[in-house]
Amino acid sequence: MRKVYAVGLGITSFTRLEYPLSEIAAYAGMMAMRDAGLAAVDHVYVANMGAGRINHQTGLASAVVDSLSLTPAGAETIENGPASGASALKTGFLAVASGVYNVVMVIGAERMREANNLETTDFVATLTHPIAEYVYGVTLPSLAAMFTRLYMEKYGVTERHLAMVAVKNHDHALLNFFAHLHEKITLEGILDSPEASTNNPYVSEPLRFFDCCPVSDGGACVILASAEAARKLGKPMVRLAGVGQATDTHAVHEREDPTELAAVRLAAQQSFKMAGVQPADVSVAELHDAFTILEIVESEEVGFFPKGQGHLALERGETRLGGRLPINTSGGLKAKGHPVGATGVGQAHEIVLQLRGEAEKRQVANAKVGFTCNFGGFGNNVVCLTFIRED
Amino acid sequence: MDRNIYGYKCGACGHINYPYRMRCRKCGRTEYTDFELVPLPKRGKLLTHTRLHNPPADYLVPTLQLGIVELENGVRVMGQLHMSNPMAGMPVEAKVEVVRRTDYDSFYGMIFYPA
Repeated sequence: MRKVYAVGLGITSFTRLEYPLSEIAAYAGMMAMRDAGLAAVDHVYVANMGAGRINHQTGLASAVVDSLSLTPAGAETIENGPASGASALKTGFLAVASGVYNVVMVIGAERMREANNLETTDFVATLTHPIAEYVYGVTLPSLAAMFTRLYMEKYGVTERHLAMVAVKNHDHALLNFFAHLHEKITLEGILDSPEASTNNPYVSEPLRFFDCCPVSDGGACVILASAEAARKLGKPMVRLAGVGQATDTHAVHEREDPTELAAVRLAAQQSFKMAGVQPADVSVAELHDAFTILEIVESEEVGFFPKGQGHLALERGETRLGGRLPINTSGGLKAKGHPVGATGVGQAHEIVLQLRGEAEKRQVANAKVGFTCNFGGFGNNVVCLTFIRED
Repeated sequence: MDRNIYGYKCGACGHINYPYRMRCRKCGRTEYTDFELVPLPKRGKLLTHTRLHNPPADYLVPTLQLGIVELENGVRVMGQLHMSNPMAGMPVEAKVEVVRRTDYDSFYGMIFYPA
């Protein structure tokens, strides 16, 4: 297996974008080509979840590869729910590691704001089991809410802990130009003051408005290359050293212990094993905080903290910028935004930026090992990636 | 009318699969043609619940109560709740009623009431 390096980075703002989806994707790709100093690639992967349904466009990759005038390079669209982005990176990794291609472009792009609120909620809810979940009116926030209640009872996580995740990630997003929400929030404003219940109403009890990610448009791109191709480009050598992926039951209620996210644990273990590092070696991580509870639970399942103690590490400030292991320095899905198909590539973008030392005001000092967790469905399809800076 | 929701019992290991799938989750030995349909019990224990404040478009209600219930035979199901004060651990009993109505269809499922 050949070594694979991240050589080019591109991103758009995650926000409401008034451009066609294919242009959002192509813009991120173009920025990454500029960053890498490349005029051509061997292959293009485009991660996307909703083009056919929301944007009335199928075969997105064909549109993107033409828009970038990269034809006749091969191109395909990869759909794996909200984990499409990391799935596409994994596919690109396999293509370069196997020796089939030397340089591949991995784009993630989504334009959800073209649809209204009810349509996007329904679009995401179609991830759930059609006859055992969806038919009852189950949405992703309601699954996360039921999961949260179990977690609160078992481990003593409170609404205050959830709010602390939101406050932290909003603070981080203030340092990220490309983030969706540049909005300073406080525990007083969303939890303690008399106005808090108006500022921060329930979405699905016990989850509140500020426990949920926004609905975003956006694109991100990471170009992957073999060692030989990467050295020629002269960028800092950041290696995609480990990939892992695991699945779990489609219906959440069927899991033996519904407070466990087994697929997160397994995907992380695979990724760390391939990279030859331990969770304790990680200096910066992007975890899939579509709901605040997920950041806490994923930080435990991937092995950063013992089970049931993620919220205590959060309390101690360990996961904040300046802490022992900063999590979601980009602002996370919570505040950077969650254009579903683009999210996994956006996470990798942030980690490579950190490992290069180019994260400016939110730079984690001496970051050597970075990690991403991209979570599809409600934990039924999870992809984890480990990146290592080589000097 | 007495309606039921069915589980799919594996002929080889006895595991009741719910929802339906093509091979037994536990042993993988039984394929879909060999499952025995068994009506799921109506009584069980509420494990967790939520009140959803922005229900999907098909629901003309301000909030929707959902919960996961462990039935008497150990099978877990998702269902809607009709009760004023749901508590984890409380006994509940299901009726199979319309849980979603679209322009052209009605879908049946379990709605749980306090037992």
